[in-house]
Amino acid sequence: MSTKANGSVGGAAPAAWLAIAGLILVVAIPFLAVVLQGIFPNLGQGSFSSPFSSLVSTLNDSALIGMAGNTILLGCCVVAASALVAVPLGVFRALYRIPLAPLWDVLLLVPFMIPPYIATLGWIMTLQPRGYLQQLVGFNLAPFLFSLFGMTLVMAFNTFPVVYFAVSRTVEAVGARYADVGRVFGATPARAFWRITLPLSAPGLAASLMLVFAAAIEEYGTPAALGRRAGFQVLVTGIDLRITDWPIDLPGAAILSILLVSMSLFTFLLQRWILARRSYQTVGGKPTAKDKRPLGKIKMPVLIAFAVVSFLATGVPLLAILATALSRTISGGLAFDNISFNNFILVFSNSAGAVGALVNSFSLGIGTALITGLIGVMAAYTVVKTKMRGRIAIDTLTIIPNALPGIVVAVGLILAWNMPWLPATPYNTAFILLLAYCCILLPQPVRYTTAAFQQIGDNLEAAARVFGAGSLTAFRRILLPLVFPSLASAMLLVFALASRELVASVVIAPVGMQTIATFIWRQFEQGSIGLGMAMAFIAILITTLLPLILLMLLRRSGLVAE
Amino acid sequence: MLKSLKSITFGVFAAALMAGAAHADVTVYTAGPQSLIDKLSAGFTKQTGIKVSVFQATTGKVMARIEAEAANPVVDVLVSASWDTATDFAKRGWLVKYSSPNAAKVPDFLKTDSAVAQGISALGIAWNTKSGTPKPTEWADLTKKEYKDLVNIPDPAQSGSSFELTAALAGQDNFKLFNDLKANGAIIAGANADALNPVLQGAKAAVFGAVDYITLASKAKGESIDVIFPASGTVIAPRPAMILNWSKNQDDAKKFIDYMLSDEGQKMVADEMLMPARTDIPANRPLISDLKLLKYDTATVYGKRKETLAEITKIYCGK
Repeated sequence: MSTKANGSVGGAAPAAWLAIAGLILVVAIPFLAVVLQGIFPNLGQGSFSSPFSSLVSTLNDSALIGMAGNTILLGCCVVAASALVAVPLGVFRALYRIPLAPLWDVLLLVPFMIPPYIATLGWIMTLQPRGYLQQLVGFNLAPFLFSLFGMTLVMAFNTFPVVYFAVSRTVEAVGARYADVGRVFGATPARAFWRITLPLSAPGLAASLMLVFAAAIEEYGTPAALGRRAGFQVLVTGIDLRITDWPIDLPGAAILSILLVSMSLFTFLLQRWILARRSYQTVGGKPTAKDKRPLGKIKMPVLIAFAVVSFLATGVPLLAILATALSRTISGGLAFDNISFNNFILVFSNSAGAVGALVNSFSLGIGTALITGLIGVMAAYTVVKTKMRGRIAIDTLTIIPNALPGIVVAVGLILAWNMPWLPATPYNTAFILLLAYCCILLPQPVRYTTAAFQQIGDNLEAAARVFGAGSLTAFRRILLPLVFPSLASAMLLVFALASRELVASVVIAPVGMQTIATFIWRQFEQGSIGLGMAMAFIAILITTLLPLILLMLLRRSGLVAE
Repeated sequence: MLKSLKSITFGVFAAALMAGAAHADVTVYTAGPQSLIDKLSAGFTKQTGIKVSVFQATTGKVMARIEAEAANPVVDVLVSASWDTATDFAKRGWLVKYSSPNAAKVPDFLKTDSAVAQGISALGIAWNTKSGTPKPTEWADLTKKEYKDLVNIPDPAQSGSSFELTAALAGQDNFKLFNDLKANGAIIAGANADALNPVLQGAKAAVFGAVDYITLASKAKGESIDVIFPASGTVIAPRPAMILNWSKNQDDAKKFIDYMLSDEGQKMVADEMLMPARTDIPANRPLISDLKLLKYDTATVYGKRKETLAEITKIYCGK
């Protein structure tokens, strides 16, 4: 690959090479293994015989069109619902003085930390007949839950924080300043918002909506738990069935995965096309006064909206998890004589390796956040700020894992790293989990930092170079601090997501090693729902508190501005 | 900042440590229960000094891993939850022939020359005793109007034993029972655990064909749930243990099978509420001799697996 064409600013070579090396190791190798598996059905046995023989039978499956259609439908519904909930809240948060704003931010952050399959189980236990809702108020909402509508709501409540935080951050960065210019020239407030603020926030909004779409079509737990009952099959449940139903059909699963990846790539290209049509640079060298407006008359309705959304997204799942964890028996229901701390005591007394699982997951989470953060910022810088040839390839590589179902990443990694001729392999060590998590979560830091880089004017780096800074210094002293808030929040998100990843971990975990998610999953499998929920509650608490404390420390040290 | 650096160092250090601990003498892949394999490996290591590495998941996920690893397999001993695995692997020539001296008291139908049962589970009706419904005694009872919309069926596509029950019962009356159940509002509710959970909370009254040991273990924990084995017959699911022919530790693997079938090992199996494979080990639950078993030919039902599952899908998911 050539690096001679970085004519604008900065010596991009080191960043680009680091990004390329990281991406090949983390993304390209497992993805290539999956593609090869789709073409050569006997790859697992180390043979390249009868190529393409699975392709026809898999693509001829009559259920395929239904599954693909359902996948797109579900993805679009979740995107629409997330946007509907998150965009108004995010805009209010960015432009107005909201009472208790930090509290709402924390409450809307928690859904990230709740594993989707746990949240779904919490909703089921709340809304099903004789569930917690019926025990409290006498009716249930089961018909709503087990439908496309229910699935959309449960998944949207899990993913909308991506949009909320992206919108509130980018709208805040655009600030009221540009809109004020519009106002000076006679635009009404509504017109200034629709014509100036919202379009300029498009990179963050589009990136976050795309992440939601990709997460929705890749999500396994919720469609498996809610969709099957409604007769709603999606590609991921189809892939899972092929992988876990004997005889195992790895080639078929690989082909369906490639289909899923192409859907995600399409939305990504769509997003690129929308953004490429104009410039979104809003961060110039001029200082911005971040003065927010008072809410005035709409204070109460806005507060109620924040409270309702927080309760539904965070309150209901958390309370259901806590109620289950504190129950002596599930059949005992919500009763004072059924309250017991036994499940929490079991977790802390290291029953079934609970403490080990916590340590494993958090170590892996930290490792994943650091690695993906580093590769992510390098890749985003190369793609946005250089004119290097082949940078689209880098950008594409960073998007592929977005749509690779976790279980397929796991199979790809096994295929790639368990070849007998490899002199050394991370397989069957904790590093294979690290590779899997890095692959699955790399898109997060890349998308966040890409959006941040897109808003930084080129003149900032150019100015630094004019005053004699080397490209490295300019990157370190100018660009990095400007994207650091986005990078830091993406890394915290990665930490939270990595420490709870389930689907890949179940298949690829090295022998004798448990993570938080596999621990919870095993407890559920064996009917110890209470113990699993106790573990889930502790994990959610830690994954929420740890990033908050870190952010506070960073703020105190002046690395991140409020 | 210092704090985060510390935790990072710790994380990297811990990851490196765990990597070193991954290699051991016998590698066992097992389709649950985790607590059983934990006890078995601890007891085995104590007795022989040989370490055990364990990978535990559902039968399907264990198989996916073996399939993906096929170019460079690492598993020595496999314990599946479905006898079908033993038959299929023997046909592929993947198994080591071994008859453990401790298998003498295992009935002949629970062992072949390359596989032997670790323990046996049976399927029954799991029934919530506080559900306000009459206690069911027969499969067909669940088609009565008292159980309208209150019955869960584990997905036969996701559970081997559930498939055998479905195939055996459907073979008797050409799917009439399953049509009646559907007409009474029964639903297919995911794998075994997914089907049982709503019954524990009371959203459903009964599971049609629940795995008994999970339900009995819940009952022992104080849940208001019971298992009923219909007098008309049910199916059992022996859990075959086998040694893979690519194993480089076959002697140690044989010792593990011996330990699993020893008095001590079989008592651990019984403590998990599974039926021990050896007939001379007591257990605090109904044993095979107490159950009436449905008669069907395994080879035939598995031969028609695709058709049976398609018919069930048509009845329950057809719109």
